[in-house]
Amino acid sequence: MGKEMLTGNGAAAWGVRMAEVDYIPAYPITPQTEIIETIAKWISDGAMDASFVTMDSEHSMVTAAGAASATGVRTFTATSSQGLLYGFEMIYTVAGWRVPLVMVNVSRGLSSPITLGPDHNDILAIRDSGFLQIHCETCQEVFDSILMAYKLAEDERVLLPVIVNMDGFYLSFTREPVEIPDVETVRSFLPEYQPEHAFFKPAQPMAQGVAVLGGEFYSYFKYQMHLASKNALEVYKEVCGDFEQKFGRKYRTIEEYMLEDAEYVLVMTNSFSTLGKAAVKRARENGLKAGLLRLRVLRPFPDPDIKNALKGKRAVAVIDQNISIGKGGIIYSEMAGCLYNEINRPLLLSFIGGLGGKNISPEEFELIFDKMIKAEDTGIVEAPHLLYTENEWKEMAGLKEIAGKG
Amino acid sequence: MLRLRFHGRGGQGAKVASRVLGTAAFLDGYNVQDFPLYGAEKRGAPITAFTRISRENIMERGVISDPDIVIVIDETLLSDPKAMPLSGLKKGGVVFVNTPQSPLESKERYSITDHVITLDLTKIGLDMIGKPVLSSLAAAVASRIAGIGEDALRDALEKELSGIISDRGILEKNTEAALYCYDAVVPVQMKTTESIREGENVINIPFETARVSSPAINATGNTPLRRTGNWRVFRPVWDYDLCTRCMTCVARCPEGCIQVNEDGYPYADYENCKGCLICARECPAKAINDVREMHSQSEEGEL
Repeated sequence: MGKEMLTGNGAAAWGVRMAEVDYIPAYPITPQTEIIETIAKWISDGAMDASFVTMDSEHSMVTAAGAASATGVRTFTATSSQGLLYGFEMIYTVAGWRVPLVMVNVSRGLSSPITLGPDHNDILAIRDSGFLQIHCETCQEVFDSILMAYKLAEDERVLLPVIVNMDGFYLSFTREPVEIPDVETVRSFLPEYQPEHAFFKPAQPMAQGVAVLGGEFYSYFKYQMHLASKNALEVYKEVCGDFEQKFGRKYRTIEEYMLEDAEYVLVMTNSFSTLGKAAVKRARENGLKAGLLRLRVLRPFPDPDIKNALKGKRAVAVIDQNISIGKGGIIYSEMAGCLYNEINRPLLLSFIGGLGGKNISPEEFELIFDKMIKAEDTGIVEAPHLLYTENEWKEMAGLKEIAGKG
Repeated sequence: MLRLRFHGRGGQGAKVASRVLGTAAFLDGYNVQDFPLYGAEKRGAPITAFTRISRENIMERGVISDPDIVIVIDETLLSDPKAMPLSGLKKGGVVFVNTPQSPLESKERYSITDHVITLDLTKIGLDMIGKPVLSSLAAAVASRIAGIGEDALRDALEKELSGIISDRGILEKNTEAALYCYDAVVPVQMKTTESIREGENVINIPFETARVSSPAINATGNTPLRRTGNWRVFRPVWDYDLCTRCMTCVARCPEGCIQVNEDGYPYADYENCKGCLICARECPAKAINDVREMHSQSEEGEL
């Protein structure tokens, strides 16, 4: 098919179509709805052979997706923000069923105040559920990741659901050229799912997702999920190798941008990484050895790759597009946990930026580099810093005045 | 890189215009990114959409705050203190305004110092398509200014419009009108300077009590302050010789914009009438005419 101008949502829908998914339970929410609209239209037009059911809520939707996947059919669903939280109970539940469904989350800030722009408190809320997480920077990556996600989830050594994340607006509604391969090549990469442990066959009845009483039993099941998730690191590497061979695009758990000889490193995720890369490029032009590490796979957490990539760096600034109220950045804590026992660990600084889709200006990136250099000089690392500009503060003051808070 | 920003009102086609331009540039061999900003918007509310066109990889995302080219699909937005279509326009940039006025008149009226191009897209839409459809026309104008080839535009119109217009005849009328606009615009040699953006001051924000920092509004509603009269493309005008004073229009107006004068005849509150023309459709005596609004020649345009 070649290259097409597609939104992130359009790319996700194409991924689902090319993966020849059988069943899609759906519930709309901005900024995700375009995905299920596109799929619904294709099914209605006969371009895609799948069952599509609109559900009464995300709670039912995730349940239906898990149940369908447990019958052995390839299943997809998508949501965002409040919807993900509404289905939260069932996210944990279906992960425990060990079913290989794939889901897309289109990140959007959580209420209150209710908003539409992206940040990652939604997707990171389900961090500990057992779902594997792939976070995307570009529309092409959204498409590619869905194909990779099925291959990863359906692998015998994994059998956990996967969630693919993209930013609302910045990817979901942004069109970029996306390469859509032909279906035969996709089939050779992702053959039909052959369920081994969870399927529906009248001749072979089974009860799935049963209760266990007794911590020794419960611990076993939970720890098995953890081991399966850790296995996914290895399986992911194989999937990436296979993907590169078939489609020519190379992915890793992390992306290293100008990182090799870098001394000062930004750590980012998702679409705002593009802004970070531009900032790194500008810093390089000004003579600073800057680099960027983008976390693509967040679950399983790619500790070995991160440790390796950050060996010998002077300072690392984690830009969290999320906020753990009362603590700071979520990924900062994960990075600190990852690097703590390293002998030559870099200084680790914490920044909160891009909440609700707030832009990160060049000056805010410059401040981050300045603070890294200062921390290295003094050995003092300051508390998490919210990136915010004077002009934004003025706009906020204007809003407060209108609201009678002046 | 060329950065274009489209300003229109919900329903006028700013989003589709940015997409048609995006596809045209893509078909012309450029790296492209296009992106509309919408969410809770409604028909008539100000909308922006963006297109980035580059030979290099595009290392930007999100809103364009320093455009090279601004396409104003709805002239009344130039007087809207919130929409501010000209904000951030680069020195040497180009402003297109959909208006019956000449570039010189527009420059004076809106105090624009940059190069201005004008064309009455609404009239062209009405004459050639039969509707005030502006998306394909604005895309054509933008393509011409951005230096995109006519063939690429033609293919892009086919690609983007065939998905949303099922009637082949209307699609062809759109293309014909768009190509007319493409030819009507005199291309300019544009030379924008790299933006001299004022550096942002990065700050630490202080604690404020929940009395200030909770998302609650203490002020009384200010919706009445936002007049919606400048959303109109057509103005309903009553012919009192035909009017039977039946009050159907008063009952049918969804905005409560029609009142009755001392003699019992209805009249509209033009400061707020959005021009939906439900009154004209519903009038059993056919006493309400639609007259095209020329905001640039009326005071309501500056509401």
